[in-house]
Amino acid sequence: MLSISELTAVVDGKRILDGLDLEIAAGEVHAIMGPNGAGKSTLSNVLAGRDGYEVTGRVTLDGVDLLGLEPEQRAAAGLFLAFQYPTEIPGVGNMYFLRTALNAVRRERGEPEISAVEFLTLAKENMARLEMDPAFLSRSVNEGFSGGERKRNEILQMSLLQPRLAILDEIDSGLDIDALRIVANGVESLRSPDRAMLIITHYPRLLEYVRPDHVHVLTDGRITRSGDHTLALELEEHGYAPLTGSAR
Amino acid sequence: MSSDAALLERLAPTAGVGARAERGRAFFDAHGLPDPKAEAWRYTPVTEIRAALEHAVPAPSGSTSSTVADRPLIDALAGSHGGPRLVFVDGLFSAELSDVEATPGGLWIGDAEALRPRRAPGAPAPQDEPADGFHALNWAAGSDVAAVLVDADTHLDVPVHVVHLSTAGSTGSDGPDATAGADATVTHPRTVVRVGAGSTAAVIESFVGTGGPSITNSSTRVVAAEGATVTYHRVMSEPAEAIHVGRTGIEQAAHSRVAATSVITDGRIVRNAVDVVLGGDGARSDLSGLYLPTDHQRHDNVVTVDHAASHGTSTQRFKGIVDDHGRGSFSGHVIVRHGTIGTDAAQSNPNLVLTPTAQADTRPWLEIFADDVRCTHGATVGRLDDDALFYLRSRGIPTAQARAMLIAAFAAEVVDSVTPESLRDHLSTWLHTRTVEVSS
Repeated sequence: MLSISELTAVVDGKRILDGLDLEIAAGEVHAIMGPNGAGKSTLSNVLAGRDGYEVTGRVTLDGVDLLGLEPEQRAAAGLFLAFQYPTEIPGVGNMYFLRTALNAVRRERGEPEISAVEFLTLAKENMARLEMDPAFLSRSVNEGFSGGERKRNEILQMSLLQPRLAILDEIDSGLDIDALRIVANGVESLRSPDRAMLIITHYPRLLEYVRPDHVHVLTDGRITRSGDHTLALELEEHGYAPLTGSAR
Repeated sequence: MSSDAALLERLAPTAGVGARAERGRAFFDAHGLPDPKAEAWRYTPVTEIRAALEHAVPAPSGSTSSTVADRPLIDALAGSHGGPRLVFVDGLFSAELSDVEATPGGLWIGDAEALRPRRAPGAPAPQDEPADGFHALNWAAGSDVAAVLVDADTHLDVPVHVVHLSTAGSTGSDGPDATAGADATVTHPRTVVRVGAGSTAAVIESFVGTGGPSITNSSTRVVAAEGATVTYHRVMSEPAEAIHVGRTGIEQAAHSRVAATSVITDGRIVRNAVDVVLGGDGARSDLSGLYLPTDHQRHDNVVTVDHAASHGTSTQRFKGIVDDHGRGSFSGHVIVRHGTIGTDAAQSNPNLVLTPTAQADTRPWLEIFADDVRCTHGATVGRLDDDALFYLRSRGIPTAQARAMLIAAFAAEVVDSVTPESLRDHLSTWLHTRTVEVSS
């Protein structure tokens, strides 16, 4: 479903991604782990289409060349990025935002737009699953949300937009153990044979809740080791140091 | 003959009717139009306005307004807000487009002719002086007045709507050589709002046009008596080629509260001066504004609050959204008089600059001659937040729509505070249309 080959990304003359290759099939959950500065967030930003990177290589989603698309076109093609630091947008109501996003994606898919009433019902169902107070609908997007509330709002968006490929960038950062369980359950419930997920994380803890099919280690801008979920446990025990050493 | 004298001769050929017109003429004779270098006119292109005035013609008098305007047109341009309405077409009162009959008790509205018999015989003539040359020209050349008079202890629950419509424009000067205001018609609308002691009233004043170059030189006076509560919304939405020099003078007695909003939705050169005098203790004035110059438009807001009495509170909150080659400016002047105590004055001017060629100017000017004062001011000039834009786009929202959402969010603080809902909706719809346009 997602095919990445020879992906490089350069920022201010510095090569952050350096020939990264990755294949993810439908229904699979992959985890990318790596130390700070390995290029994890750059990978998620480049895939979602954020400006500011000189990118070469090839990325396709369901055969569609992603790198030539604008961020909104990538979303329409089925890509979703759960942000590490979801942006506060004062003055834009969360409900208005969520419905606008859902309708934009539905329009692209040739589906009819959803009415305000239908949307409200759908949003409340999904919020209940994430133990989110419906009051969050009437607030500005992420404004004044705690770290955990923001992450839940990301998963809420993912559950509404039903992407083909979900990239979860450090979705576990800043969460206490209860919030982590709720967010992880939300992610787990979206696992589906039609959907692929790429979990980018620093710590293996999340992977105890959402068990990946494949784990990759990202060091110095490329994948230096791959394995099954036991690789995460190994990393927890020994850290990245042996890998970063051997990657050179 | 000096150019000022020639201008007066051209725009006010007949000796003005009444003492106010005479005072205007005398002031203009003595001072002419403002010096373009004067502080208060720094961001207004006076020279360009003068050139436009020199080519302009006074609006034809006695035109039959019903042939060029009807009620659906007024509703479409200015909105319909459910209360009494005074409509002026090219500076002249239009009885057939106005609703003056069914006014609630304690409210009187009308034009100059209706107002004349209301003046008590032997009452002393007002002695006030024009604030500047444009104001003087308004007095000297204006032919009518919109009067909104509210008795003491009267509580009005629907707003009075005053509409000024410009219909006449140039014919045949649209070629590449046409200069702004060439053969434009010029009008000098004057509005007086007096709200009696302890009363509550709301007035919406709309300046609209049907197209073509026009020059509007307007003057509005709002007088709030002791303990009165007045809401005044001024919407300047003339066509893109229009020039408007407007002044709103607000006089507040003790414990009065005035909330005044100015929205400039269009116009090539628009100056919006708001001069407030807090003349009695414990008065409060909340002034807000929104302006959105685009193309090569200039929108200039010049706000002065004179704390002439103690325990006054004033807030100024003006927001600029500047696009293309537009230039938006805000000068916020606060004066705190010697001998007063307990003044609380706050001022803010956030600006959103949408292109590298757009320009926002902001200038706080605080003159404080008293000790016991709390005065704050803040101004920002920023671009659309790239992170917010990316976040919206990453959710599938097209760029133009995402930008429009962020621009509307920026303006929301001002738009959402507007009442009644009919006016808020009118402004939201305009803003939406406008922001989607600028973003695409």
